[in-house]
Amino acid sequence: MTVVVAVVAVVVAIATYLTWIARRLDRLGVRVDAARAGLVAQLAARAQAAVALAESRGLVSLAAAAEQALAGHAALRAGASLDNGVEDTENELSRALRAPEVGSAGQGAPELLHAVDSAAARVALARQLHNDAVRDLRALRGRRLVRMTRLGSRRPLPAYFEIDDALPARGGPLGAPPPGIGRPTRVVPGGAI
Amino acid sequence: MRVGLACPYTWDVPGGVQVHVRDLAETLIAAGHEVSVITPVDDADALPPYAVDAGRALPVPYNGSVSRVLMGPVSATRVRRWLREHDFDVLHVHEPTAPSVGLLACMLADGPIIGTFHTANPRSKILTAAQGALQPSLEKLRARIAVSEAARRTIVEHLGTSAVLIPNGVRVAAFADARPLPGYEPPRHTVCFLGRIDEPRKGLDVLLAALPELARRVPGVRLLVAGPGDVAAVRSRLDPPLRDRVDLVGLVPGEDKARVFASADVYCAPNTGQESFGIVLLEAMAAGTPVMASDLDAFRRVLDDGRAGRLFGVGEPAQLAAGLADLLGDDAARAALARRGRALVAGYDWPVIVESIVDIYRMVTAGADPVSLASAADA
Repeated sequence: MTVVVAVVAVVVAIATYLTWIARRLDRLGVRVDAARAGLVAQLAARAQAAVALAESRGLVSLAAAAEQALAGHAALRAGASLDNGVEDTENELSRALRAPEVGSAGQGAPELLHAVDSAAARVALARQLHNDAVRDLRALRGRRLVRMTRLGSRRPLPAYFEIDDALPARGGPLGAPPPGIGRPTRVVPGGAI
Repeated sequence: MRVGLACPYTWDVPGGVQVHVRDLAETLIAAGHEVSVITPVDDADALPPYAVDAGRALPVPYNGSVSRVLMGPVSATRVRRWLREHDFDVLHVHEPTAPSVGLLACMLADGPIIGTFHTANPRSKILTAAQGALQPSLEKLRARIAVSEAARRTIVEHLGTSAVLIPNGVRVAAFADARPLPGYEPPRHTVCFLGRIDEPRKGLDVLLAALPELARRVPGVRLLVAGPGDVAAVRSRLDPPLRDRVDLVGLVPGEDKARVFASADVYCAPNTGQESFGIVLLEAMAAGTPVMASDLDAFRRVLDDGRAGRLFGVGEPAQLAAGLADLLGDDAARAALARRGRALVAGYDWPVIVESIVDIYRMVTAGADPVSLASAADA
């Protein structure tokens, strides 16, 4: 009798623990999805801001890079993976935004330039939130118990999104950091996001 | 936006985190957001209309000083009720690693939760040991904010994750227009100190050790010492000839802090360690009072490598005495430091800081359901 009670108690404890882990995995999955949606939204906002600036100032290569990025965003919103191809396209846009002629031509449209720089700062933030969520989920999925029980295997392991999103350094009076995210992170020396 | 703020430490006991939560709440309200704060409190009548009582906290020693924490069924019930009664778009918990209301709220809620980490603690054995137990709660945080580079490093090292750096804010206007205290109009050869007078790492002893030499070089020098602690004990340790020069005013109410700065020619921060940010230095700068601070990492950072305030060797009374004597005797240098300080502190004004925090709120709430109660199995 005591053996039966003990076995039942152990089984209940294990089941409770596994349910709890499964719940954590679900919650982390929700967090990763939300962070991914946020990242995609910020990437789109950056590309749109870049198109507006490029059209206003006749910046041909910036326009091309931004249109290229925008072309892929519909698929991302539909759930396509943030793979190497996306990283390459977004890197192209980061590079195009840092080109010196963008800063100089932007002097003629300070508000549009400012909008682009703020959007770029938000991309960096959204990417960090995304990668933090991915790290937490991967850490839990990597636990031996989770691997053995295949608890998390219903969905593919999410990947980090790695792009070069260093903010453009603008000289002159427009060198003032954009408001919001961009500003306080620069107040403290060495305070990179 | 409807914002819930969870404050871990007793509201009516002075402390940096409480002040941060209060200023954040009031700046958010001024910007048109709906805010409710839940916090431990000793005297519930002391709470502003936007705050809710989570119960009384118990004092426990933590991280070299006394922290008051709160965990238990009563507080859990109150936090749960607070979450149920408010339909928050975002829940913003403070110090989610402390065993108090921030962690409780984090455990009991689900949805867009973000956390701000205030403590810098490079070698915390407690934090390392607790990481496994904290992880289930911390992994709910959709964004993590660190108020200082040191706090950010602590998160990276102990919790294996990262954080966005958004510094503490300062209520610049409140400090800019203060009048000196009675008897200090205008300030003459006055150095002020703010902080617990019996907590060694606040460094009052370093300043008092510098006083004999300072008094030799600046005959009219006075010290204005404001902060809680045993005033009689400190006075009895002073040499009788120096007692008249030291004005121990005890704990001053929050609004008089600005007046203490306005009463002094120099603000001295002789802290000996464990400071993660140095908000008081920024407040002195907002008041236009030049700063003389010990050369701690955090202070050097805030003072822009010594350009916006003077630095002296940590725990070095002789250096401090010489530095203070120089500064008290040089009106032009003090004016230049005050000017640079005011320019620097503008970037830390609360409305500026809150813009960044709201940016994060927007990011974690976009397309998300509001905050809800987690099911019992999660807590």
